[in-house]
Amino acid sequence: MFKKTNPLQSKSEIILRNIVVLAMVIFFTVFLIVPIGIAFAGSFHEWNPLSGTYRFLGLENYKEVFTSALFGKSMLNTVIFSAVVIFFRVGLGLGIAYAIYSTLIKYKSFFRAVYYMPVVTPMVAVAFVWKFMYNPQIGTINQIFGLDVNWLMNPKTALLAIMIMTIWKDFGYAVVMYMAGLYSLPTDALEAAKVDGANAWQTFRYITLPLLKPMTLFVIITSIISYLQAYVQILIMTEGGPGTATYLASYIIYDEAFVKYNFGYASALSFVLFVITAVFTWLSFRVSGTED
Amino acid sequence: MKKRVFAAVVAAAMVVTAFTGCGSTGSSAGSDSKSEAKAEVPTEPFGDTVKYDPSVELNDGKDITVELWEWGSDELFQQIIDGYTAIHPNVTINLVDNPWEDYWTKLPLALDGNNGPAIFNVHNSYHENLINYMAPLDIPTEDLEADFNGVSAHVIDGKVYYIDYGMMTGSVYYNKDMWEKAGLTDDDIPKTWDEMIEVAKKLTIKDGDKIVQAGLNFNDDFHQNYLLGLNYQLGENLFKEDGVTPNVNSDAMKKVMQMLVDMYDVDGIGSKDFGEKAADSFGQGQSAMVIQWGHYYNTLKTTWSNIDFGVFEIPTFDGEPYAYNRYNGESTFGVNKNAPADQQAVAQDFVKYFLANDDAQIAFNLAMSTFPAKKSLADNEKILENPSLKVLSEHIDHYIWPGPMPATVETSLKKAGEDVFFNGVDIDTALDEAEANITKDMKNSTFKSVENLYEYAK
Amino acid sequence: MKRKVSSIALNALLLILGVVTVYPFVWMIFSSFKENQEIMALEQHLLPQKFIIDNYINMNAHFNFVRFFLNSIVITVVITLIVIYTSTICGFVLSKYKFKGRNILFGFVLSTMMIPWCVTIIPKYSMIQAFGWMDSYKALIIPAMFSGFGIFMMKQHISALPDEILEAARIDGANEFYIFHKIVLPMSKNGIFSIAIFQFLWTWEDFLWPYLVITNKDKQLLAVGLKMFNGQYSTDYGALFAATAISIIPVLLIYLFFQKQFIAGIAASAVKG
Repeated sequence: MFKKTNPLQSKSEIILRNIVVLAMVIFFTVFLIVPIGIAFAGSFHEWNPLSGTYRFLGLENYKEVFTSALFGKSMLNTVIFSAVVIFFRVGLGLGIAYAIYSTLIKYKSFFRAVYYMPVVTPMVAVAFVWKFMYNPQIGTINQIFGLDVNWLMNPKTALLAIMIMTIWKDFGYAVVMYMAGLYSLPTDALEAAKVDGANAWQTFRYITLPLLKPMTLFVIITSIISYLQAYVQILIMTEGGPGTATYLASYIIYDEAFVKYNFGYASALSFVLFVITAVFTWLSFRVSGTED
Repeated sequence: MKKRVFAAVVAAAMVVTAFTGCGSTGSSAGSDSKSEAKAEVPTEPFGDTVKYDPSVELNDGKDITVELWEWGSDELFQQIIDGYTAIHPNVTINLVDNPWEDYWTKLPLALDGNNGPAIFNVHNSYHENLINYMAPLDIPTEDLEADFNGVSAHVIDGKVYYIDYGMMTGSVYYNKDMWEKAGLTDDDIPKTWDEMIEVAKKLTIKDGDKIVQAGLNFNDDFHQNYLLGLNYQLGENLFKEDGVTPNVNSDAMKKVMQMLVDMYDVDGIGSKDFGEKAADSFGQGQSAMVIQWGHYYNTLKTTWSNIDFGVFEIPTFDGEPYAYNRYNGESTFGVNKNAPADQQAVAQDFVKYFLANDDAQIAFNLAMSTFPAKKSLADNEKILENPSLKVLSEHIDHYIWPGPMPATVETSLKKAGEDVFFNGVDIDTALDEAEANITKDMKNSTFKSVENLYEYAK
Repeated sequence: MKRKVSSIALNALLLILGVVTVYPFVWMIFSSFKENQEIMALEQHLLPQKFIIDNYINMNAHFNFVRFFLNSIVITVVITLIVIYTSTICGFVLSKYKFKGRNILFGFVLSTMMIPWCVTIIPKYSMIQAFGWMDSYKALIIPAMFSGFGIFMMKQHISALPDEILEAARIDGANEFYIFHKIVLPMSKNGIFSIAIFQFLWTWEDFLWPYLVITNKDKQLLAVGLKMFNGQYSTDYGALFAATAISIIPVLLIYLFFQKQFIAGIAASAVKG
């Protein structure tokens, strides 16, 4: 089986490959496939591990997922939330990284540090701080802009408010990723463009941007994965309210699993969300033209 | 690279050590002074019907260690542990403090394995996940009933696993300065909801259309303090006669919800957008009155110490309610039935010590601002010094407990209320939806209402 | 002249954005020196009107802060170092070796990130319990040894390394272990620093898992301590903000410090020539 099929393959390559692949397979089997398998089996059951209930339901949980108006609505919210936040995360990240990268900015490391601060602050604390800032009576936002908006309790503004907070928290990540991307650009390509007489915009549009594509893809995919699983900000800022206006798919999963202890239903929701995430990820790969 | 990581770690550690260095000395000095003021160790049996005899040796006098888990009240628990271990020096009780929310995930999982604590603090809202792991108390039920109120609601197949040491419910908190400024006196304390609204109007201050001071605020907690309680005043239970069907879309509930809507929209004594949370708004000196449960007394004492407040009994519709309000119990501790026998024996003994010990009962009730379930403490001076408990004392038998309701009852009604106030849904539809939600969420629940055990049940 | 104007404008813009970014942060730090009453007061001031340090001092009343902090540092550093190594070596194998099932394996690694943790945490807990790892750091370290994100990231980075360098080494007679440790690893600095920053942050912040598997007070981590301020009836904001402020210091330090390395790593990287 491990016969040399490729003349370039050395013995040490085969040994290294086998060790690494074996370690990965063992690790992921034990700590991911098995728990995921248990959860998948659980998604066909009425399952509450805390009270010890485990009763076969067949497809009942999945049927409930697809007929639940709340899940439909929260999925729509999730898609809007993710699309808007990713758009601004990528846009702001790229724009700011490019600005810092340019020769126009002096204190580069200062700005890099500043924009990264929210990324390292735990979401729980950030959500509490922003909840104060959105407070209709004492909040900074209404005071600065002279508004009288009940941000988190108005169904028109609640999700928007949470999106703004999330963008604030996360755009620094994209800045750093793009900085890394920009610094590893081949300088000869940029210089060649200059010699050819391209202006700054043309250089950016036709040279820099395409070269940054792998980074953009990376930021978008990691964002899709993490935003489809976002719930902490909802938990602290609105609990899904007013009514069900700010329900996100993962908040329902969290709520079903750790508030109502319906692990069976939560698992069914998770696998549906998993398929949706995988589809969006695959689409991103396709759109970017990367085959993998 | 490794060197650099190490340097950063060391730097970080130094910053923190330097920072907290002064902190640790400060707090250890505090605990020293506490241990000096040790109470006398009792030697004679004490208690009413449930008696505790300190002279009985535990575990044949051999050393034993048990774990006790609780959330958020480590000082309170340490006090009673210190009292107990003074009697039984061979017993060590390790206290583990937990964060409130996640305790309910960790505790049942731990109890299911073999590393669960022998003793754990219980909250009845998580009854269903805990009851399978609890050992019945080895105290005769009649003895418990002789000493404590509300025991019958906790009897399961003739056995009692935990009872309430205290009852918590809602009362009206009012800002005395605002009261005076509005020209109101003690005689104006309202007895009915109509009177309450009139008083609230006088306490409301507006600048044009904009509210500057709300007469009454129920934002964010209307479900807990009004919807789930005032239905009883109108003679309707939360559950139908079978004890499992929610009775949420009832005439009583609709009437209560309509009253809330009218208070803001018609009477103008507050606003859904004024004061995000009623409890905070009262503390900020923005709202003149709020209905809050007993724990609020402690919040006012600790966080909002500059508010001069008074407490009065919850108003009624006609002065002769079926019940004044819903109450909920603060539970006694659970004994882990999977713990080793010697540890269980200590746990059982510890619970008995807690029940028989009046000082402990008073300390816990005052700390939680709950009305003592222990009958002999109903007119205890220290208890009645707390104004939020004093207002309850007159009609404490007219408060009803529906049983350990699943959380969905509260959350579904909160959603319904928010739909009505913020999303323009009409009351009927909102309550209908809440009822459907509760029914769905409770379909696998073993909950059965104990409203039929209420002393004045119809 | 035009250049100077646009430089000033751009600097000003970034500065304004910087202020917006930092403001909530500054608010949190100042609030950690306020009483809760003042944090929630109707009259809001950014600076504490009554400056107190009790929020910092009282932390030790609830848990042994220094102990939790040091535990967190040790565990986070250990896990981060392990993840850096496993991610790089897996990324190397997945990007530079061609073998059957490679794409399936990689797709699988990627998909493991898409399952919400909510539903796997309980089965994982039961397994750890069955292994007898409760209350031991094995339960924290072993399930965290490989990271789907890290492997994904390193595969992307290493695939950008030119094959010629590896081939040149192979022709010189280097074996693959040598190539990985002496060529690939040093050349992946860029990616390594990025996963180091992320992995450190995630492990440092992770709360529920350490809380579930660790009970012993001497072994508990800082993130668990931070949750203690979120009580049954109210949140102790001042204490929460104070604890958060201190707890992010190491993460910020790691970042600030890696930031320099980051640039140096790229400048010295062999990608250019």
